[in-house]
Amino acid sequence: MTQALDIHQDVSRLNRAQATDASAPAAISRSGVFAITFGITFMVLYTVFEQLNWPLFTYHPAVGKLDFWMQRARSGEGPPMYWFGWLALSGIGAVAVSSVATLLPRAWLYRLTVFCCVLAALWPALLAAAAFIADRVSFDAEFLKSVWLTGAVALAGAAAVSFYGSAQWVQRLWVKWLWLVPVGGLAVLGYSLKSYFLR
Amino acid sequence: MEAISDFVFDYISVRTFWRALLFLHFVMAVALLALVTLQTVAVLMPARQAAGNFITRVRATPAASYVTPIVFLYVPTFLLGAWVYLKYRTYVRIPMEQFGHWWTVGTFEFKEHIVTMGIALLPAYWYFWRQPLSEEHAAIRKWLAVFLAISVWYAFLVGHVANDFRGVGS
Repeated sequence: MTQALDIHQDVSRLNRAQATDASAPAAISRSGVFAITFGITFMVLYTVFEQLNWPLFTYHPAVGKLDFWMQRARSGEGPPMYWFGWLALSGIGAVAVSSVATLLPRAWLYRLTVFCCVLAALWPALLAAAAFIADRVSFDAEFLKSVWLTGAVALAGAAAVSFYGSAQWVQRLWVKWLWLVPVGGLAVLGYSLKSYFLR
Repeated sequence: MEAISDFVFDYISVRTFWRALLFLHFVMAVALLALVTLQTVAVLMPARQAAGNFITRVRATPAASYVTPIVFLYVPTFLLGAWVYLKYRTYVRIPMEQFGHWWTVGTFEFKEHIVTMGIALLPAYWYFWRQPLSEEHAAIRKWLAVFLAISVWYAFLVGHVANDFRGVGS
């Protein structure tokens, strides 16, 4: 009888422990934080650097010449290549940000990721919307196209979303950035290639 | 890289060298394509038992068993592609533009971006597919496997079209 009770207690304890494990979020190690942050940061930076054309260096394959930062094509030197420069700059940036991310408290990391990703999406979206509006209204609305004005609004929006988002929401969203960022990034990068498809 | 190519050019022509590199890139891409496709089948249509026909046996293979070969093949295929890309920019893309093959140029530009996203996701892909697999991250694990498969398939098809314009056997 005593043995039967002990077994029953053990099984109950085991079930409780399993239920706790199932409901608790799986712990992500430091290497996991690095890997996830690296993926998100690299993709955001790559999209931004490609759009702004900020390569770390420019390679001229016809003459085998390397220039620091962005250099336009020069006569007799063939076409310049920026892709390697975007990769290098994004890679360095992503390694630096991911290394810092492993040192941050998780709650901060989740909110900072929301802040950066929302800012990266909101700023160009507001710029595009401002340009669309300014070109269509009857009065002079050129001021709307200001990078700083849209930047300030985007900054405020990103700060509001990351500050007011609940702790559970920013935590659940963190891993999901791994699919939100490539989808958004590829949409932006694909749209910027439209000139090739509309000729 | 230049030192390697200079040494090799003593023995084979420049044209043969680049074609050999392109062919090696193609062979690696085919192997990678097979792996990501098999993993996607195992992830999206898992089967509990290995009994039955070929497809059922593929579906029953543990998807995690493909992860290490995929990672170890994706990186060198990417690097080799980046090397061959140097030749593409001068030897292939310029005539492509002169002939007005803008769709091919545009789709190839997109290939740059999608394979870059793929390599950026590779550390996270490896992390989430490590044993023991956590039930909580099943959805993101599935997404990462499917995204890598899409990126490899896209890169393969577009690369093949570019090769048909000016490459091995064209």
